[in-house]
Amino acid sequence: MKQAVIGKQVWQGSRAEGAAKIRKLKRLAPADLLLYAAAVIVLFIISCALFPSLIAPYSPTLMNTDQIMQPPSLQHVFGTDYFGRDVFSVVVHGSRDSLLIGFVSVLVGCVTGGAIGAVAGYIGGVVDAVFMRLIDVLMTIPGVLLALAIAAALGPSLMNVVLAVAAASIPGYARVMRGQIMSIKGRPFITASRSIGTSSLSIFVRHVLPNSLSPMFVMAAIGIGTAILTGAGLNFLGLGTIKEIPDWGALLSQGRGYLTVAWWICTFPGLAITLFVLSINILGDKVRDQLDPKQSRA
Amino acid sequence: MSTAYSKPAVWMKMTSLALAVTLVLVGCSGGAGKSSATNGGSAAGAAPSTAAEQSSTPVAGGELSYALATSPDQLDPHRSGLAVAVRVIRTLYDTLVVQLPGGEIKPWLATEWSISEDGKSYTFKLRQDVKFQDGTPFNAEAVKYSFDRIIDPETKAANALALVRPYESSEVIDEYTVKLNLSEPSQAFLGNVSQALLSIVSPTAAKKDGDQFTKHPIGTGPFKFVKWDENSEIVVEKNPDYNWAPETVSQQGAPNLDKIIFKIVPEEATRIGSVQSGQVLAAETVPPQNILSLKNDANSQLYQANTVGLPYTLFINHSKAPWNELKARQALQLGINVEAIVKTLYLGTYEQAWSPLSPGIFGYDASLEGGVKPDIEKAKQLLDELGWKAGADGIREKDGKKLTLHYVDGSPNREKRNDIAAIVQQQLKPLGIQVDVEITKDVATVVYANNNYDLYGNSQVNSDPNALYSIYHTTAPGARQNLPNLSDPELDKLLEDGATQQDQTKREAIYKEAQQLIIKKAVIIPIYVFPYTVAASKKVQGLAFDSLGYPIFNDVYIAE
Repeated sequence: MKQAVIGKQVWQGSRAEGAAKIRKLKRLAPADLLLYAAAVIVLFIISCALFPSLIAPYSPTLMNTDQIMQPPSLQHVFGTDYFGRDVFSVVVHGSRDSLLIGFVSVLVGCVTGGAIGAVAGYIGGVVDAVFMRLIDVLMTIPGVLLALAIAAALGPSLMNVVLAVAAASIPGYARVMRGQIMSIKGRPFITASRSIGTSSLSIFVRHVLPNSLSPMFVMAAIGIGTAILTGAGLNFLGLGTIKEIPDWGALLSQGRGYLTVAWWICTFPGLAITLFVLSINILGDKVRDQLDPKQSRA
Repeated sequence: MSTAYSKPAVWMKMTSLALAVTLVLVGCSGGAGKSSATNGGSAAGAAPSTAAEQSSTPVAGGELSYALATSPDQLDPHRSGLAVAVRVIRTLYDTLVVQLPGGEIKPWLATEWSISEDGKSYTFKLRQDVKFQDGTPFNAEAVKYSFDRIIDPETKAANALALVRPYESSEVIDEYTVKLNLSEPSQAFLGNVSQALLSIVSPTAAKKDGDQFTKHPIGTGPFKFVKWDENSEIVVEKNPDYNWAPETVSQQGAPNLDKIIFKIVPEEATRIGSVQSGQVLAAETVPPQNILSLKNDANSQLYQANTVGLPYTLFINHSKAPWNELKARQALQLGINVEAIVKTLYLGTYEQAWSPLSPGIFGYDASLEGGVKPDIEKAKQLLDELGWKAGADGIREKDGKKLTLHYVDGSPNREKRNDIAAIVQQQLKPLGIQVDVEITKDVATVVYANNNYDLYGNSQVNSDPNALYSIYHTTAPGARQNLPNLSDPELDKLLEDGATQQDQTKREAIYKEAQQLIIKKAVIIPIYVFPYTVAASKKVQGLAFDSLGYPIFNDVYIAE
């Protein structure tokens, strides 16, 4: 009885709302669908990285030498590679290192770069000049080249790839942070705060820093994609790690010699990189929209 | 939503960047994209060999572009250490004698020779009509100069120094007679003299250029050096005066080709792809996965020659516990399924190796073939007997130490050697051995300087079983350790006898015993015999290979 009433109410109410919803759906459809699709892909790939054994049907190290270079089939959806490993399982397990490189290096780069930029921008003067000239020097070297040089100098290990990718992203974060701090520093409310005798440190922590963070979030969100690409590039070039379970970049590298005879070995890891980077950028873009003061006013 | 237009712009940019990077990474091999498998021509089974093309007559002229897999280190034969350099060096220089497949030694720059009773001096009579490409006459002085140059520490000779041992000095008897003196008899010496690294160089040029001789190499070979662009190409042109080819080639005089352009193309898919697309006429070292498709390609042909010497072998370091114990090494020998490795990675295009020597070399013991069969249960039992018990994670332990194997291999991944390490790692896991693979660019430091490995693989092209001496004989005090860090008096004795034994039947028996001993004591795990492969356009005719598997270009011509 109660249920029926509720049902009726809903039904009645949704007539007018329904029409509006459909209009709304039509208007938002492409962008929102893309957003949802991106979210699903990112969530799926993150769960691959967290619980690979639950998703992968085979062990990534199982070399079934009787079944090498099998094309995609129901049994092996992505086919098998030249060791006889199931490509899908290897890609699923390989996501862990790729994502780790992406997230950790962004965290390291963002925090380090942000700190340098904040100190330089807030203190200004000689400190600013010194820090920014150092950053300028780093900026003259293209990011990937810098990462390559660092990875080559430190030797192959997961940690070193993270450091290399992080170091390459520092100048960008530092520049943005410094600019943001400087623009906030000059706002009237800061001057007001200073005039009532608030300490410099307190102004920085309470006002300047919180107001400067949103562009950093946006940059970080988009930076994850770039970081994964750079990390994959380093591993592709053999400057990354050598482990039992290769990451996506190393998988591409292993499979490239077989492109003409077994396209699936490097196509699927490549597709995984593309999809993940694309999705993370769509999401990053959404974060930017949400945090953009100009857009929220409009 | 006034700024909505910028929305797609950013992610589109990122997407295209992502795609572009992925495509660039993958597309490094783009040249190979032109599929050859579709041609479906005659699947002639065996490699189309030179025999098939004898119907057409050689034409003079033309250029051969030949893609090399890596850059030669030196064009100075005495200082080079790489097999790839020998491919170019062979075109520029000649040696005193030539070795036929099967080991027989025949005249080349020397017309005849005699060996003294004690086996310690070799007297060569030289050809009188030979001159170097710079006009310097070829004579006994030139031969003396070349051999003395190798043992001169100033030269910093590499592999040539090992080959020339035990050479001591030369005497010029007359203009065209030279006597080489050895410090002890060596049965390998004459065979070594046939190797390209003991080529005769122009004394005038070598004295003048010193260290720079490698940049302006001058020999007596069928081709003259033109130029060398680092990491790009090496060009040699016809030596029109050439008239002293050995009997291994059919054309006594100058070669057919006007020029050979050796292009350096390290990326294997690109190298083979450029033959199929016609950018080069020939390319060396075809990856196994492409061999099968090339055999079906109507416009290409495949040449294949097994290299001779020491096959690709994994050396077990005897100075590291527990691998100093026979049972532990036998466990590796039984636990590593070499047949599966060779079949999986080389798709039936490489032969499995069974002995420390490769087939085709003097004294090779074919009875070892099929001898060692993988037996995991036996391997486990051997490790049990040594007291290694399975731990919680499946890795064996003894006295609180895990059973690990430090497997070192070089980068880049030449002949899929890194992939062998990946398979060995998985094969030894069920035995309870944890394999730590280290891939390094700096093998010289890790392996040779620091002796920091349990397992390391290498191979060597050589003409005589005496090659075993430098790998397995106890090293002199203070010298660099041999690869397995081995010191076995029984084997030492055999290798010493083999080096000097003049009776060929006895010598053969000695080397067979040495090979059996090495396998019985599980010193090594032989993996594969490397076939030197060349993919070439059907237009390339007359390419031949010497006894060691190096290409000979004298008879090559381009058929139109």
